Amino acid sequence: MSEESTALPWPVAVDATAGTPADLMSRVARGDSVAFAQLYDLMAPRVYGLIRRVLRNPAQSEEVTQEVMVEIWRTATRYDADRGSLTSWILTMAHRRAIDRVRSEQSSTDREQAVAAASSTTEYDEVAETVTTNLEVEQVRHCLSSLTELQRESVTLAYYGGYSYREVAELLDAKLATIKARMRDGLIRLRDCLGVTGR
Amino acid sequence: MTSPEVHALTGPYVLNALPEDERVGFEAHLADCRSCSAEVAELREAANKLGTAVATAPPPALKARVLAEIATTRQLHPLVKQEEPIAPQPAAVKKSFSRRSFFGLAAAGLAVAGAGGIAIDQYRDSSRIRKQNEELAALLSESDAQMVRGDVKGGGNATVVMSPSKDRAIVLLHGLQQLPDGKTYQLWLMDKSRTMHSAGLASGQSADQSKLIQGGVADKIYFGLTVENVPGSPTPTLPPAALIAMA
Repeated sequence: MSEESTALPWPVAVDATAGTPADLMSRVARGDSVAFAQLYDLMAPRVYGLIRRVLRNPAQSEEVTQEVMVEIWRTATRYDADRGSLTSWILTMAHRRAIDRVRSEQSSTDREQAVAAASSTTEYDEVAETVTTNLEVEQVRHCLSSLTELQRESVTLAYYGGYSYREVAELLDAKLATIKARMRDGLIRLRDCLGVTGR
Repeated sequence: MTSPEVHALTGPYVLNALPEDERVGFEAHLADCRSCSAEVAELREAANKLGTAVATAPPPALKARVLAEIATTRQLHPLVKQEEPIAPQPAAVKKSFSRRSFFGLAAAGLAVAGAGGIAIDQYRDSSRIRKQNEELAALLSESDAQMVRGDVKGGGNATVVMSPSKDRAIVLLHGLQQLPDGKTYQLWLMDKSRTMHSAGLASGQSADQSKLIQGGVADKIYFGLTVENVPGSPTPTLPPAALIAMA
């Protein structure tokens, strides 16, 4: 290290508008907290929105969002762009954290009450309605509507409702194998309609 | 599992709709199945569009809290390719049953259980495993920590690590027999009046698992394991697969 370069200002100041999410991410991986703040602005609404959709409770949702955003910082060094888009990496993490929270609360409830049969279907109706009235998501709305009813219900009950496929089968009164298959072909149809790829 | 069945799991996997044991099983399969990995990546992108579709601005104060926390959070070392896998330590269980060696063993077992997930899936880090290990270590460090162990009918064994003062227990199930579809293991704690209280379920598909029981542990005299129909039973089906005295 040269003697002149003492006390380098860190993090390095950068133009706040510069950089794609992928550029931001590689700077985050090198410990750049300014880049992280920009990444936060880009991604936090999606993370929070998804977690809030699954958990419903605002305080819990904030807590889990914070966990996820910090986890993005912590594991940025492990992100591999070859294995999926940044948005997908982040939302996958967010969804898993939300589901983990749902399941851990569920298991403590299960311990208290004897394991009971499935709950009502109001959750689903609410979810479906909210998705289909959001004007900003015309494409998703359109593509969701191209699914069969069973495909759509299977996918949204799991993704937004946080239910396991067994619970979804119970709620929809369908066979386990049927629900597994509808989740898969529903997502395939959604993929084709949205024109997304795995890279 | 036959192969068409496994392939159909890409949908539930991407939606995080698989129970823990089936997720672990599927991830093991994913490591060997290129077409599955490609499909998972694509379906994941599609599923996450559903996430983007519900974006909502978080409360402004959250950003300051996150930035404050990252300022004191160290980032992980990057993964160097071809890292050596964590070596499993089988059969070390037998003799010395001291807390220390037991913890080492249990920790190794849990870490190995998690390693598959890390290797094939960049999304799931080891935080869950780490948390389990921390919980186990914390419990074992209690001055009144006790450990009991018994065989499970049909194969395998159950170890209960508990602390009455903390009113919690960790149950480690090892080498359990796989149950037919529609069956599940269920955990029970028996009180002094010989009433069994359900302590949750353990999958019938996974040989090795650990369960944390919080509360209702201190005054119990037996730990029981039964085989029940999914989704569990309000009363235990007798005879139990295991019944282990806790004191």
